[in-house]
Amino acid sequence: MIDLIYKIGHFLLITVFATALGLLFMGIARKIIARIQKRYGPPVYQPYLDVLKLFGKDAITHGFIFDFGAVMALGGVIATLFFIPLGSWQLYSMEGTVLLVIYLLAVASLGMAMGTVGSGNPQASIGISRALTQMLGYELPFLVILFSLIFRYQTSSIWGLMQAQAGSFLNWNLFAYPMMALVAFVVLIGMMGKKPFDAMIAPSEIGSGPVVESGGKYLGMLLLQKSITIIIELALYVNLFLGGADNIFSFSFKMLIVWILATMFGSLFPRFRIEDGVKFFWKWPLGIAILQALYIII
Amino acid sequence: MNNNFVKGSWQEILDWAQNKSINMLHYCTGCGAIELPPTMTSRYDMSRFGIGPAATPRQADLLLVTGYLSTKTLRRLIYTYEQMQAPKFVVGFGSCTINGGMYWDSYNTIKQLDKYLPVEMYIAGCMPRPEAILDGLLKLKKMINNGEADGYQRYQDNLEFYHQNQEAVLGEVQRTQ
Amino acid sequence: MRNEKELLELINVHLEPQAVEIKREQNVSVELAPKNLIQALSFLKSHSYQHLSTISCVDWLEEGAFELVYHLFSYDDYINISLKTRIKREPGIFQTAKEIWPVAEFYERDIHEFFGVEFKGNDNLEEMILENWQHLPPMRKDFDTREFVNDQYEWRDYNGQKHTD
Repeated sequence: MIDLIYKIGHFLLITVFATALGLLFMGIARKIIARIQKRYGPPVYQPYLDVLKLFGKDAITHGFIFDFGAVMALGGVIATLFFIPLGSWQLYSMEGTVLLVIYLLAVASLGMAMGTVGSGNPQASIGISRALTQMLGYELPFLVILFSLIFRYQTSSIWGLMQAQAGSFLNWNLFAYPMMALVAFVVLIGMMGKKPFDAMIAPSEIGSGPVVESGGKYLGMLLLQKSITIIIELALYVNLFLGGADNIFSFSFKMLIVWILATMFGSLFPRFRIEDGVKFFWKWPLGIAILQALYIII
Repeated sequence: MNNNFVKGSWQEILDWAQNKSINMLHYCTGCGAIELPPTMTSRYDMSRFGIGPAATPRQADLLLVTGYLSTKTLRRLIYTYEQMQAPKFVVGFGSCTINGGMYWDSYNTIKQLDKYLPVEMYIAGCMPRPEAILDGLLKLKKMINNGEADGYQRYQDNLEFYHQNQEAVLGEVQRTQ
Repeated sequence: MRNEKELLELINVHLEPQAVEIKREQNVSVELAPKNLIQALSFLKSHSYQHLSTISCVDWLEEGAFELVYHLFSYDDYINISLKTRIKREPGIFQTAKEIWPVAEFYERDIHEFFGVEFKGNDNLEEMILENWQHLPPMRKDFDTREFVNDQYEWRDYNGQKHTD
C-alpha cells in the first residue's frame, strides 16, 4: 500500500516536472530562434502563459472521437514517462523498455490521428499522414541503432544501457560510437518535428497540420503533450548517448544542451518536402547506421 | 469569501494571461498585409509582446482585418470570425475598414466594418506604419487586461443587429447554430 | 514572319474590315462587322494568331452600342491585333467564340457579369466574381454607382457631418 502511494506520488511528480521542463524548453527555443533571427523574442515563460490562456478559452468539440484522440495523445506520452529514467528517477525498469518506449510513442501519434479523423478536416488528414510517413522514415535508422546498441551491451533496458556507459565520459556512446550519435541526433530532430523535418506541421502550407481544428483546451492539451514528448525524446537521447546522469539537475542540463543544439540546427534549414525527408532518412542516416552496426557486430 | 469574488479574480487572471499571449489571424485582403511582415520580423518584432501569428481561426484570439472588404470577402470574414473561439477580438486596420477609405464610392466594398462585426478598435492610416500597428496592439493589450475588450459579448448580445446588417449586404448567410 | 503592313494586306484581302490602323509598332487595330467576326477569328487563328489574350468590352451609351474587343497575339509575328466590333446595346446578344478558344468561355462570363452581354452558345454564364447581384450590371454606363452606394451602405457619421460632404 505504502509502495503504491509512493509510486503514484512519484509518478505525479515526474509528470508535473516533465511538463514544466518541456514548456520551459519550448520558451528557450523560441528565444534562441528569435536571437538567431536578430529579434528580441518572447519571454522565456511565454509557453506557460499560452497554456494558461488556452485553458481559459472556450473550445469547440467535434464529437467523441475528437475528445478521445486528444486524451489518448496526452495519455500515451504520460504512460511513456513511466519507463524513461530521468536522472535517478525511474519507476519501472525491465528488459525491453527501449522498444516499449518506441511503441508507446506511436500510441501518442495514433491518438493525434484519431483526433484528426474526428475533426474531419482534410488539412489535418494531410498533416497526420505526413507525420506517420515521417515516422516510417526515421524509425528505420533509429531501430538499427537501437539493435546494434542492444547487441553491443547485451541489454534492452534503458537503465541497463545507461549503466553500461558509466565510469569515464569516454565510455559515453557519443565518444565510443560518434557516427551513431550523429545519426541519432538527426533522427531526434525528425522525431521532434523540428525544421527541416516539420512538413507535418507546416503552418503556412497546411495550417499547422494535425492541430488545425483544435482550439482552446484541446490545443492546450496538445501543447502539454508536445512538451512531454520533447522531454521523452531528449531523455532517450541523453540516456543512450550521453551516459544519463545520477541526479536530475545534471540530467536536465544535458537535455538542455542537446535541445539547444537541435534548435540551432533546426533554425538553419528550410523545410524538406515529406518524400524528400523520408528519402534522406533512408539514404544517409540509415546507411551510416548500418555501417556502424556492421562494425559493432564484426 | 463569496463565489463572485473567486470568479472575478479567476477572470482577472485569465484576462492577464490573454493580454500576455495573443495569437492573431491576419485576414490579408488588402494592401495592409504588407505592413505585417516588418512588424513581425526582426525590425519591429511584435513577438516580444507575446503577439504571434496563428495558423487557423480555431487557434486565434485576434482577427486583424487588413484593408478593404468587398461583400464577397466579408462573407468569408464572417465565417472566419464565427469559427474563432471566445474570447476573440477584431481590429480594423487602415482607413478602408473605418469609412471605406479610397474605395468610398465602390459599389462592392463595405464602408463600416463595425456594423457587421464587433470591432474593438481601429488602427487608422493608409496604410498604418508598423509603429502605429504596435501602438494599437499595445492599447488592445491594455484593454484586454482591464476587461474592456468585450466584443464577443457585444456580438452575442446584439446578435440580431449584426445579423440584420450582414444579411442586408450579403443576402443569405450560412449559420451553424 | 510578317510585319504590320503585310498583315494588313492579308486582312484587307481575306476579311472585310471596316477600318484598319497601325496604332504603333507591333500593334494593329481592325474594325469588323459583327457578322464577320467569328469567321475572322478562326481565319487569324489559322494564320499563327493563336493566343487570345482577353476579350474586353466598352459601353458606348450615346451611340447605343457595346464594343467588343478581341486581343490576339502571334508568337511568330510578335504583333498584337485588336479586333473590334460593335453590337447593338439592346438586346446585346453576340456569338460565342468558345469553339475557337475554350478560354473565351471565361472572358465571356466576365463580360456577361459586368455588362450584361449575352453570348449565344455559351451556356456557362453564371456569376463569377459578384455574389447575389440583383441590379444592373455594374460596369454599364447607366449604372449610377454613387446612388447605389448611397442606397446600399450607410456612411459613417462624423458629428452630423459625412466624410463625403
